[in-house]
Amino acid sequence: MDPQKPDYFRPALMAGAVAGLLSGLPIIGTGNCICCLWIVGGAAMAVKLLAARTRALLTAGDGAIVGALTGITAAVVDAIVSIPLRSFNMDLARRILDKASEFGGEMPAGLDDILNNAGVFSPGWFLIGLFISAAVFALMGALGGIIGVSLFAKKALPPAAPPQTPPGPPDAA
Amino acid sequence: MTPASGSRSVRTIWALTFGGAIVWMAMIFLAPWLAARGAAGAARVLYAVFAPVCHQIADRCFLLYGHPLAVCGRCLGIYAGVMAGLVLYPLIRGFSRPALPMARTFALVTLPLALDGLAGILGLWKSPIELRFATGVLWGAILPFYFVAGLADLVRTRRERLAARDACKKPPGNIE
Repeated sequence: MDPQKPDYFRPALMAGAVAGLLSGLPIIGTGNCICCLWIVGGAAMAVKLLAARTRALLTAGDGAIVGALTGITAAVVDAIVSIPLRSFNMDLARRILDKASEFGGEMPAGLDDILNNAGVFSPGWFLIGLFISAAVFALMGALGGIIGVSLFAKKALPPAAPPQTPPGPPDAA
Repeated sequence: MTPASGSRSVRTIWALTFGGAIVWMAMIFLAPWLAARGAAGAARVLYAVFAPVCHQIADRCFLLYGHPLAVCGRCLGIYAGVMAGLVLYPLIRGFSRPALPMARTFALVTLPLALDGLAGILGLWKSPIELRFATGVLWGAILPFYFVAGLADLVRTRRERLAARDACKKPPGNIE
């Protein structure tokens, strides 16, 4: 691998898998409700991994690319993790909303229908949801990647080692 | 790439981001408006679009025509902050030098939102929706300074790489 050319894919896959897993898990996944925490944080971590593996200075553009790739990876992993947890997540959401309505909270419009239908897996809705998530997560990931560059990327290249000079002839003193 | 074309690409990215932000904000307000007019199906699609990025708990959302907005007060604050940041961008940064904000500035604007969010999760206090909105605005306002500068840099490096590739492809000239 050329050390001067950043390898975006490996850091994006690693950080994206972790961010997607955290996003797909019940309760922990709600962290994304705070400014897409797992996606933005995952993209910033991907930049940190990339900075550790690359000798060249990373630009904001590099951060945007690796962040967007991290977001797309996270969307795919999130969607896959969510399939077996779908019914559990719906039960949990229903219990939380029932509890909220006991305290006089208002349910979002049409949420009851959504909860009733969401337990049933439909490939069409799965793909539409994946597409929307991938687009939103890619944007948020790009943002996280650019923020990551400003936080974690090297500010200057390390000084180059001085060129080795061949040993000269011994002094004939 | 000349400074003029660099400035033009920053301006284009800024304008596209501004347009996208206006559409995004309009969708947030459109969802309750559609729900109030009885277009439940269309409203549901819009609510679903924002579901991956917001909990949409009605208690924490501002209401419009008796229906909650498509995102909570904090998220609305973030998007309103993004709009404000985009308006301020040409005045503060200009289009000629796309530079990222300092890490210290980012920490400063993140702190109120992080403290408020963390305290809410830990159950230390339940902040009013206005405070959530305000901390969101503060944080959101810095985001365009990253986003526009980052995308402008991406476009610049792509153009430079393409130009370098084209230069390599050109046949060498005749040497007398």
